[in-house]
Formats: sequence, structure tokens, C-alpha cells
Amino acid sequence: MSNNETKNPILFFMQESWLLLVSAILFGCLLACLSAAWQPKIIQNEIDKFNALAGGLLSEAKGFQNAGESISVDIGKGKTYSVRVKKGTDAAGNLVGWAFVCEGSGFADKIKLVVATDAAFEKLAGFGVLSSNETPGFGDKITIKDGFYQSQFKGAPVTELELTKVGDAETIDSRIVAISGATVTSEAVVKTFNTFLLPIKEAMAEQGLL
Amino acid sequence: MVLGSGFYVLSFHENDKLNISKGLNKMSKDVSLGKTFFAGIWDSNPVLRLLLGMCPTLAVTAAVKPALTMGLSVVFVLLFSNIVVSLLRHQLKPHLRILMFTLTIATAVTIADLYLKAFMPEMSASLGPYIPLIIVNCIIIGRAEACASKNGLIVSIIDALGMGAGFTITLCVLAAIREVLATGNIFEITVMPGSFTPWAAMGMPVGAFITLGLILGAVNIISKKTA
Repeated sequence: MSNNETKNPILFFMQESWLLLVSAILFGCLLACLSAAWQPKIIQNEIDKFNALAGGLLSEAKGFQNAGESISVDIGKGKTYSVRVKKGTDAAGNLVGWAFVCEGSGFADKIKLVVATDAAFEKLAGFGVLSSNETPGFGDKITIKDGFYQSQFKGAPVTELELTKVGDAETIDSRIVAISGATVTSEAVVKTFNTFLLPIKEAMAEQGLL
Repeated sequence: MVLGSGFYVLSFHENDKLNISKGLNKMSKDVSLGKTFFAGIWDSNPVLRLLLGMCPTLAVTAAVKPALTMGLSVVFVLLFSNIVVSLLRHQLKPHLRILMFTLTIATAVTIADLYLKAFMPEMSASLGPYIPLIIVNCIIIGRAEACASKNGLIVSIIDALGMGAGFTITLCVLAAIREVLATGNIFEITVMPGSFTPWAAMGMPVGAFITLGLILGAVNIISKKTA
């Protein structure tokens, strides 16, 4: 029988791994301290980015506050995505529109969007891209503010959107013309709208927000 | 193969006859600080000679700014990891050393990730998952194993700075070529004439592979001529 087997297993474990355990505790404390110090800044950065994007879509809005409860949206394959709708208010506190964050799968990675609608949740005020890694020169055209693709969503009805490869992009309706060479990305954005818009509208109506 | 494989790093410890481990282990024998530093930049350049850390090399070099940020993040992680491992090298149990390296590297990478999220949010979003992925970058664990666990603090620090500088310079050169050809700009300043037609392909993965291949070819030619 070896020496290791005759030793107390807990003592043996401590002798072998004390450095790992002590280091894990010290590194954990270091990360906890840094996280506590920097987390407010990180959260503020996210709020600022949301406000900048949503504020650009709802130009009259001076601030955004959480509205109602979180809404759980079915995104397929048994998965759900929790959405917190924010109401945009003007300087006098009047409701000017709604905004929320949603995401879908793009060509290369997840595409995270800020979507804004009018106060009645009947028409889209447009969308902004929080994060995406779409192909430069093609898919990343969805990020161009007031570009060919984004412009088609401004004033479009809150209903099931349809992607077409040809059509008049200047006609604002539920038909969205795809970006040439970036059909997958264009489709991903439209699919994201279709996944989130109507379920959120229904849930908001149930919560008495509309 | 070598590319981005953490498993490879574990295995080369068992077989130090491999060519790459020869380069990696060079530091333990050669304690000249100047040589140690410059080895990371040319003789044992992690990207051009050892072909390590290829994932960020290909993924974040579409422009110089993200490449520089990635390079400096790797320098920080290398420094942190080499300092900790070097200080603890006499206490390291051989069979637990990889766990200790991983714990140290993961801590440093988390610090770098938090810092970028807090103070450079646009860059953090642009780099996406590639900062957290430094944890599995073979350069870091390779230097911890080949240098920091066998050498004193000063040599380990110089090694981290040399290797980090070699990695950063390579990324920036690759990114500068790609950014200029893909957009006509560098650091968002236009450097190409108005008649220049941007090569969109250089901003895509194919541009990264072609540029890296050409640079590796050029480095091999120079190495043969100077050998």
C-alpha cells in the first residue's frame, strides 16, 4: 500500500492543492473588487448606448424608463428571450414612443438591435444596431444610420414584415427590400422583428400599457 | 496541429524534441535580457515563427485600432501570468501546474475584459468574444510553461514584454496592410489617393489569410537568407 493511501485524504488533498485553493480565493477577491468598482461604469455605458440609439430613433424623447414587467418572448427551439420595454418621454413627461432591445442570429454572429415604435405601438420609428459582426462591405450595411436598409423601417407598420429581393425601397410598408449581397443579414433583421414585435405588442396590451 | 490548440501546449511538455518546443524552451537556457526580449520580436515571434495565437491574428486585424487593443491586452495578460507563475514557481506541483496557469490567465483576461467594457466600450463591443478567448491563446500558457515556471521574475517580465511586443507588432503590421487596402485609411486617416478603389475582400477573412500567408512567406525568405 502506498503512502498516499494511508494518509488522511482531506489532509492529502490540502497538501497537494493548497496553492490552487488560496490562489483561487485571492483571485476571486481581486475580481470581485474590480467588478464592484467598474460594474456601475459598465452598466452606465450600456444605458448610454441604449439611450443614444433609442434617442436617435425617437428624437422627441428626453429620457427612457422601464415600463411594466419583463416580457418573455419565444425565440424558437424552446428558448425564450427576456425583453424590458422602455417608454420614451419628452421634457414634459409625455409618452412619445417605446423602445426595447432584441436579438437574432445573423450571418456571422448574433445581431442585437434597439427597436423603437410610436406611442400607439402602431408604427416603427426604426432600429439601431447595438452589436453585430456582419460581413464588412455587405452585411454591416444594416448599421448605417438612415442608410438604404434602415430607412425602410421608419414608419413601417407594426405587423408581420416580409423580405423581398426586388422592390421599391422608398415605399414604406411591410415589404422590406434586402441589401444586395447580404440577403442572410437582411433576412435575420426582418426575422428578428417578426419574432419580437407582435408578441411584445400583445404582452404590453395585456399589461395595460397600450 | 499547433494552431490555437491548448491541447498541443499540454502535449509539447512531454516531447521537447519538437521543433516548436525548442523555440519555446530557449528562454530557460538563455538568460540574456536583451536576447530574451528580442527573441519574442523575431527569433521566436509567436505568430510568425511559432504560429501560435492565430485565431486573434486572423480575426481582429481588419483595422489597426482593434489589433493594437488586442495586442496590448495580450501584453497585459502575459505580464500578469508570467509574474504570478514566476513568483510561485517553487510551490507549483507538477501535476497541478496547468490548473494554476489556467486560473492565473483566466483572472488576467477577466480583468482586461472588465477594463475594456468599462473604459473602452466601443472597442470592447468591436472585439466581441476575442478578448475572453485570450484565455485559450497558446502564447500565454506556452510562456508560462516554457519561461515563467523555470526562470526568475526579471527574465519572466522581459520575456512577457518581448513576446507581447512581437505579437502586437505582427498584428499591427497585418492590420495596417489590410486596413489600407480595404478602406484606403489607417487609424481612420485617409492615406490612399482619391483614385484608389478599396479592396473589400481585404477586410474579410479571406484578406486575413492571404495577407498572413504573404507575410509568413516573406519572413521565411528573410530567415533563409540571413541563416
